[in-house]
Amino acid sequence: MKTTPYLSVENLSYRYPDGTLALRELSFELAEGDFVALIGQNGSGKTTASKCLNGLFKPTEGRVIVDGLDTRTTSITKMVVRVGYVFQNPDHQLFNSNVWDEIAYGPRNIQFSEEEVTERVEEAAKVVGLNASYFTEHPFFLPKGLRQRVAIASILALRPKVIIVDEPTTGQDVKQSLEIMDFLTYLHQERGHIIVIITHDMPIVSRYAKRIVLLGQGRKLADGPTSEVFAQPQILAETFVAPPQITQLAQATAELGFDPGTLRVNELLTQFEGLVA
Amino acid sequence: MSIAMRFEDYSWRYSRTSEPALKNVNLEIAAGAVVGIIGPNGSGKTSLAYSMNGLIPNQYNGIRTGAVYVLGKEVTTIPQAQLCQQVGLVFSDPEAQFTAMTVEDEVIFGMENMGLTIAQIKQRLDWVVPLTEIEPLMDKPPYEVSGGQKQRVALASVLGMRPPIMVLDEPTSMLDPMGRQRVFEVLGKLKREYQSTIIVVEHSLENLVPLADLMILVYHGEVLLVAETEPFFEQLGYLMKHDVFPPGVLEFFYQLKVAGHYPAAWPLPQSVAAGAARLRALFEEKK
Repeated sequence: MKTTPYLSVENLSYRYPDGTLALRELSFELAEGDFVALIGQNGSGKTTASKCLNGLFKPTEGRVIVDGLDTRTTSITKMVVRVGYVFQNPDHQLFNSNVWDEIAYGPRNIQFSEEEVTERVEEAAKVVGLNASYFTEHPFFLPKGLRQRVAIASILALRPKVIIVDEPTTGQDVKQSLEIMDFLTYLHQERGHIIVIITHDMPIVSRYAKRIVLLGQGRKLADGPTSEVFAQPQILAETFVAPPQITQLAQATAELGFDPGTLRVNELLTQFEGLVA
Repeated sequence: MSIAMRFEDYSWRYSRTSEPALKNVNLEIAAGAVVGIIGPNGSGKTSLAYSMNGLIPNQYNGIRTGAVYVLGKEVTTIPQAQLCQQVGLVFSDPEAQFTAMTVEDEVIFGMENMGLTIAQIKQRLDWVVPLTEIEPLMDKPPYEVSGGQKQRVALASVLGMRPPIMVLDEPTSMLDPMGRQRVFEVLGKLKREYQSTIIVVEHSLENLVPLADLMILVYHGEVLLVAETEPFFEQLGYLMKHDVFPPGVLEFFYQLKVAGHYPAAWPLPQSVAAGAARLRALFEEKK
């Protein structure tokens, strides 16, 4: 069954003003139900690609169609309510003096009525678990985990279908990373968002992403279900990515009968019990 | 065996907090060891790192009790200029340590301040620049390169001073998996070729575990567990209760052991290669 894509990237190339060609003829689609990890070495074009998805960068060649709209000819106000981008470092996007204004900034810019703004801010804050006592706080004085939630809430207030999160787990410990990823899973499963994460954390990818789009030097090297892409270590190595340790172990012992697409410790345990029994 | 670093009943409380960041720490780190410090955010890992090169208490207000000895001398009795040649610190936020307008000047800054001659600096650059793969960045402002590149520049600027003790606070958080692996390869090389003492604060354990001689668990300001790497991870159940998430291979073999599929006397393997060998041996045995 093929669903109509919500977003399609068609032969996208992007050249920075300094001449660097960051993306080369990139094509992929995002559809309802997608939870995608965009992975690849530093400098492979992940962040550039994601900035093309919401019209922040316009294609040098090719096009990006979002919900039927071409990013080249659509105003940014129409794009931000469809594709939201959460920066790697929340401090790069937070700038208001209190949490309420921060979350309200986007909706106010689109000139929603103050009534609608209030409704959206309250909803977004509720979704990310920020209670009203935080509304008057200065975002910079909140701990990093909460600053990230404010950053996500400010995007959610625009109610975009697609949420792109750049490096959601950098600087977090593993427990905090799992909390953020569980939250993105909630947004995906319960609220129907298409989620795109950009990350170097392969255990996180194997645990949460349904699909991988693998980039290397601005090109798409692979695109498919997480276990299928991780089962191709040679292609991953082209862009300096290695599958998670447990997958590597399964691949190193495939001759014993282990599945080279194994993603989790539990799966390998089950296979082990099946093989030795 | 000489001692690189020793903590004796050491406690530290930042002046504006009510709880101490570190409570009664006792530790001994042998010269030439690679040491991993792990624990959740906010547990005191960075405070411990800052206490090793005198940043605490010299640059922070607070109350300090007990003592920290670097190469046999108490930290507060060593002049800062001398201390930073003995203990090099790579910050988790690389921008926090940048001062220069080009990557080249950044890397040279520490060496110049040590009073090295131009010839000596050139010699060290020839070593450290390829090692950290920053050649193409040398003329760029350190602020403008990518996060992963910033981390490599920060590492190079400390490596260039060639301190006998290196403290690295989450040195690979922004790097891609291969970039991470390369940093740990560099650390391995420093250990083998220069017998450097290397202390690494890390969340990502896959690369750290095979290299580390000693592991330290810090939790809520206390050092809960110090042991050589192998016996340290034998206590995986205890570690997991304290928010340590082990690399996949270790966790897999630990679960096998718990389920009775893996001989209790066999050590838990710490790398993919060691794990694969153990699995093959296990299959042989079961036949």
